[in-house]
Amino acid sequence: MTREPIATTLFALCAGVIALYITFPILWLILASFKPASELARLPATILPDEFTLGAYRDLLTAGTQSSQLLDWRRLIANSFFISVTSTVIVVVLASIAGYAFARIPFPGRDLILGGLLVSRMFQGAVLLLPTYRLMVFLGLHDSPWALILIYSAFGLPFATWIITAGLREIPMELEEAAMVDGASRLQTMIRVILPLAVPSLVTAALWHFVGSWAEFAFASILLESPEKKTVTLGLVNFVDYFTLEFNRVGAAAGLVALPILVIFFFGQRYFTRGLLQGAVKG
Amino acid sequence: MILPVVFAVVGFVLGPAYDVFRLSFTRFIMGQEVAFGTLVNFKTLLADPMFLQVLRNTAIWILGGTLGCVVLGLALATFLAIESRVTTVLRALILLPWILPDVVTAMAWKWMLHGQVGIVGQTLQALGITERPMSFLGDPNFVMWVLVAVVIWRKVPLITLVLTAAIRNVPSELIEASRIDGANRWETFRYIVMPQIAFPFTAVTVISMIWMTAEFTLPWVMTGGGPANSSQIMSTYIYQQSFEFFNWGVASAMSVVNLLCLAALVTLYLTVMRRSWSRKE
Repeated sequence: MTREPIATTLFALCAGVIALYITFPILWLILASFKPASELARLPATILPDEFTLGAYRDLLTAGTQSSQLLDWRRLIANSFFISVTSTVIVVVLASIAGYAFARIPFPGRDLILGGLLVSRMFQGAVLLLPTYRLMVFLGLHDSPWALILIYSAFGLPFATWIITAGLREIPMELEEAAMVDGASRLQTMIRVILPLAVPSLVTAALWHFVGSWAEFAFASILLESPEKKTVTLGLVNFVDYFTLEFNRVGAAAGLVALPILVIFFFGQRYFTRGLLQGAVKG
Repeated sequence: MILPVVFAVVGFVLGPAYDVFRLSFTRFIMGQEVAFGTLVNFKTLLADPMFLQVLRNTAIWILGGTLGCVVLGLALATFLAIESRVTTVLRALILLPWILPDVVTAMAWKWMLHGQVGIVGQTLQALGITERPMSFLGDPNFVMWVLVAVVIWRKVPLITLVLTAAIRNVPSELIEASRIDGANRWETFRYIVMPQIAFPFTAVTVISMIWMTAEFTLPWVMTGGGPANSSQIMSTYIYQQSFEFFNWGVASAMSVVNLLCLAALVTLYLTVMRRSWSRKE
């Protein structure tokens, strides 16, 4: 950095503007969640809450209030956790097995298949909504959380496999060879030697998959019908249609939906960056 | 061992892609498949005046979003590539929009752009730029551009980080040499840095076009394609036709159009990647 005062000021100004640009939208919504509805309707807007209240959050989580009569948020949160955690476990287990094969066992067409996995990730989104819906109806999984677990796992598996394969390829072969020479079987080597070293890439894959499953909206919206089966993302969208002016309620709900993600983001920062460097950018 | 992941791709990408192709050539009456081998869905789609509108909106969406992302991303990356404790923090912080759930992002922007008490409309009015608070999401002439601005916020972090890494990889001797030769900052950027990051720049440009083509949740939750279909893009149109109007024939025809767009972009991406590999070898 140069020490010229003008350059320093300009630098600080740019940094401030960027920080504000990144954080303002979400901060503004969270601030709204701590203000009473009457304050939100008042102009000019207050920046910090004049009257700080946790009322909107309390309404979401206690029975019998206007918010929780519309939607049982504790139920929604439980549903979302069940779907995301189950799918994450499935994906990490299957991706570790596949990742080991891709990293350690030579077989014909290996790199081609691995590349194909990444390319397949690009063909997602709206084009697959209708046929995937039909597939789930065909399998009898309409209105079942297992439909979503299956879909998220299937769509998340290629990326998780890619991350774990890349992680395993960084582990030097010599370690395993040494273990094998010492008389360990392939399975023992896998569990005792490789697994502990592979933990960072497993965590990376798990966090990315959890975040993606937790946030998913499109498939959940077409497959879940019963109110007691819905997920937090559906609940939030329902909310904004209902409380168009009481944005403190919407903000509180959005805060609840964002909370696990924010916790993971702040504590798992290095894993996220790792995942990005290992190929999130590829699709 | 790799069977589950291969099965996942075959069952959930290739299978559905085949199914949607088949559906697009199938005539539906009241949700029942009655005949295969017909172009009636494509004819209906082309005859729908909405089709042109959707194409126009999708073009604004993909091109505007991509252009905004790479231009803003490059500007941010140039700043974030500066070595400093502040930029290290910002490089971590910038991922925030990237990992927030789309529905949360949609709510945050809906609140900022609220027609009556939204902070953006209030600020513009206070500054005397508009007479009344603007209805950003309610004005058919503006809504597409507003959505593009939001999706840029959502998608720019990753592009910024990739470009930041690329800029930081430019050998510092090259930059020093150009300074000694008398190049100013802009010339150094234009003739030294840009050629060095040309490949990652091209790659993220194509990737962001792929993202935009597939993106659904953010525009759908923000406007639902409205008002009066003025922000309907391919993905939201497919959703609406599939699950609100149950026009599966038309929906699958549009899905095929979208799939072909994706296929073209992925081919372009692979071509770019292959060229860079062959250059390295």
